[in-house]
Amino acid sequence: MSPTSRRTVLQAGAAAAATMALAGCSGTEDVLGLKRSVRIAVSWSSAELRAFHSVLDGLGPLDYPVEVVPLGDDISTAFGPRSTRRPDIVMLPQPGLVAQHLRDLESMPDDLADRGRARLWDELLVHDGTTYGVPFKTAHKSAVWYRPSVFKQVGVEPPKLWSDWLKLNRSLTRAGIRPLALAAGDGWVLTDFLENVLLGSSPPTYRALSTATHPRPSQQPAFAAALRLLGTMWSAPGTLAGGVERSLTQQFPDAIVEVFGYRRAAMVLASDFAEPVVHSFAADPADIGLFTFPSTSPGTAAPVVVGGDVMVLPKPATDDAKDLVRRLAVPTAVDPWIATGGFLADGRTTGYSPELTRLAEQLVTPGTSLQFDLSDRLGRLGDINGLWRVLTDFLVRIGNRGSDLVPDAVDAALAELKKVEH
Amino acid sequence: MALQTNGLSLEVVGREISGRPVPGKPRRPAGPYLLGLPALLLSSVLLIPIAVTVLAAFRRPDGSFGLGNFAVMGDRAALHAVGNSLAWVGVALALVAIGFFLALLSYRLPGVTSFLQPALVIPFAVSVLVSGATFRLIFDPAPEHGTVTAVFTKLFGSSPVWLGQGLFWLVLVSAFGWTWLGYVVSLFRAGLDAIPADVSRTIAAEGVTGWRRLRALELPMLRPITGVVTLTLVIAAVRVFDLVLIVVPGPMQRDADVLGLNWWRATSAGDDAGRTAALGVVLFAIVAAVAVIGVRGLRRRRWAMPVSVVPPDPSLRRPKPSRRVRRTGWVVGFLVSLFWILPAVVLVATALHSPQQAGLRGWWSTEGIGFSSFSAAANAGLLRALLSTVVISAIATAVLLVIAVPTAYLVAWGGLPTWLGRVVMSAFVVLAVTPVQMYAAPLRDAIGTAGLAGSRVSLALVHAAAGLPFAVLLLRSAFASAPPALVAEALQGPARQSAVLATVQRAYRPALVAVAVLEFALVWNDFIVGFLISGAGTTPLSLVLWGEARQFSTSAGTVAAAAVVASVVPVVLLLSFWQTVVRGLTVGSKP
Repeated sequence: MSPTSRRTVLQAGAAAAATMALAGCSGTEDVLGLKRSVRIAVSWSSAELRAFHSVLDGLGPLDYPVEVVPLGDDISTAFGPRSTRRPDIVMLPQPGLVAQHLRDLESMPDDLADRGRARLWDELLVHDGTTYGVPFKTAHKSAVWYRPSVFKQVGVEPPKLWSDWLKLNRSLTRAGIRPLALAAGDGWVLTDFLENVLLGSSPPTYRALSTATHPRPSQQPAFAAALRLLGTMWSAPGTLAGGVERSLTQQFPDAIVEVFGYRRAAMVLASDFAEPVVHSFAADPADIGLFTFPSTSPGTAAPVVVGGDVMVLPKPATDDAKDLVRRLAVPTAVDPWIATGGFLADGRTTGYSPELTRLAEQLVTPGTSLQFDLSDRLGRLGDINGLWRVLTDFLVRIGNRGSDLVPDAVDAALAELKKVEH
Repeated sequence: MALQTNGLSLEVVGREISGRPVPGKPRRPAGPYLLGLPALLLSSVLLIPIAVTVLAAFRRPDGSFGLGNFAVMGDRAALHAVGNSLAWVGVALALVAIGFFLALLSYRLPGVTSFLQPALVIPFAVSVLVSGATFRLIFDPAPEHGTVTAVFTKLFGSSPVWLGQGLFWLVLVSAFGWTWLGYVVSLFRAGLDAIPADVSRTIAAEGVTGWRRLRALELPMLRPITGVVTLTLVIAAVRVFDLVLIVVPGPMQRDADVLGLNWWRATSAGDDAGRTAALGVVLFAIVAAVAVIGVRGLRRRRWAMPVSVVPPDPSLRRPKPSRRVRRTGWVVGFLVSLFWILPAVVLVATALHSPQQAGLRGWWSTEGIGFSSFSAAANAGLLRALLSTVVISAIATAVLLVIAVPTAYLVAWGGLPTWLGRVVMSAFVVLAVTPVQMYAAPLRDAIGTAGLAGSRVSLALVHAAAGLPFAVLLLRSAFASAPPALVAEALQGPARQSAVLATVQRAYRPALVAVAVLEFALVWNDFIVGFLISGAGTTPLSLVLWGEARQFSTSAGTVAAAAVVASVVPVVLLLSFWQTVVRGLTVGSKP
């Protein structure tokens, strides 16, 4: 490169830098990081993260800069004892961690405390009369998205019972259609599956495990039974689209694209927050159906597993952080996200798409077998190195390989789980 | 004793030398030592935390000292991670070897490089995160979407799951190789070009060919460059962290675990501090050993050969090869560069599709072309991230230059006693390869306690401190390579000082530019330092990418757009200054 052209490049670079500096001149301190910003740790990424940014933008001008720190599946690191650089607010997807970190958490300001006492949330967020968190986002984790056209082609209806579902899978497989796209790349998809089966088959065990101080799922016969049921579905040959190998590389949006974009599978288990992905990647926007997880046996209630993100304030909380929580807790604050789709607000049933309205209504119906996500309550036992890993290995052992392998695989899974339990 | 010759009688009258010879010891003024003070201060930003970590590694929970913490190495997962990290160092060394032979090949086949140069520089300029994202796109398991999968499906009817068990290593190593191979080849090539024609002619005249020629001529002549290249690649191999995070799907990450990642998970999960410190020390020991063995050449005086200030006589250059050889080289070079640049093409083409189409179809699809992915990326806070990154990189580079230049001068010409010079150089070599894990935890705590958490200035200072050792090593050899007479004149005689300084400046400029450009690009592309020291929030650009990339294929468009935007500055910078950077990096090896 000749000296003149290099100079031109340099000048252009300087000019660009100057423009940028001018553009951001109001926030120089903020860019240098000298002004104390409010840091929010979240587990969201891509579209969800952008939707959250739009919620923040919708709050209007704030007196403090806000920094969003996406920690993904490693969100629990936000409480790491060594991280002096703690976020000011954590959008915690594992409310079960609240009980373990009471000493590190600031109690919620009085005007917000009641929001943490809503149904389901109270036992997670209220300890000794003090509220430590406020729900921000609710997730319905018992939703199955499917393509009605395939069901029509084979002449089946969405299943009402677990046994119907297994039958449905068989008829689809016979017709040359892969029934299930499984996003095993996201560990929580696997745990959601198991939790639904467990809650459907033995609500008392589910309850006992989620409230125990030292839960030992490997010792529960009902837990082993649920694993066996789950194994029956996953192990049936031809059930998983792309086989186990492909499933392990799939995250939940990939599995949705397999079903609705490439039409290589019929169904996918994915929460309400999958809605925008389903709509943006569906090859045929009219060919989208939704059913909720069926009950295990006639007469029992269908399971509804609820998840969600709660706002908590690590100690010491600044006034700015409290202010931001207050603003985010205002019901209308989340409207931009609801407009994007894939967002359920606690207790609210209006303003959603038809599919999400159905899910939202199920969440407030009295009498449903409603429980909070088990793996999110188990802390480390339920996350990457615990149940996620156990279920991944379980899937690898049995996926598409026939039900003969299931009993041994269940034993192996329980043995693995035992190792993590203490 | 008498000597008779030609009628002359000579008598040697001698006296025995009495006493032992006393070597002269010039008085060393203390003044120059002050030049090293800023570097010492800046390095203590790393040295003190390193000491803290080493102490913590040997301190048992009860406060006594011992090897108890190293029992963590008995942990299967930790052992696995150590093995993988060693494997990465092996990959780095293999790349050095491959790069060397490719450089030899291109040297024998002139004309290849004309196209190859930019194709080789671009991957080096983009961050590891970006190249990881690109390779994950290329190897995506959906045949509609992933390039390699599509090709395999077309040819053989089906395709292996490239991101699956075992095969993800291929993706990881390709991404790493793509980033670094160009750098290795360029440097070796520059070294080969610098071998004086008369030397190679002499060797040829003696009939030394093939392997023996390589051992007699090329290997020893390129030794200094081998040192620099090995050093950079080993540092990169040890820093492998973000690459695994972005390329390997969740369930397989356990297999791909490296020490850095293992350490991070352990610290953030709140494992015992002593055990994590022990992990860091093990990582450090491995790397320091490899580095010290690998860069022995760096410490030798031989590394400092004078730079040719006067361009060589053109008639002495290598004879022009025949037309046919040149044309073959041309064609080969063109094809190789096309292939090599393909990942960048994939990235840009993906970014130019709408988020929907980029998520559904491959980069070759003609549907949904437009800039909507870029606007989606802008919504994720990309512009603000760019601004902060500019600030951090600029501060780090400025601080580094201001401190590294006097230090390098001191080490090269400051008249340090030989032993001290050697100690300082070894210290810098070891510091240069010290993994971030060795100082991250104590530094993070210290910054937090000082209330500077989140300050980008403190992050920039850490970057400067981390870049200092490499900069000093490089600048020292550049300074040392200037003819001593020149320097002496510049130091003493005020008469010709300006003229001499101009010459000196001409000789040093490439090294200075190399240091500045490389530091700027490294800080710009950094993920691990910022992430481990300040948490995700302060490394804005890579953070945006990381946040986007977690739901990979469906956000391909946004990820690609963010990656393209993040890469423009380092690519333009390195392409503009590449010649100078290579000259700067290889200075000292010129005849």
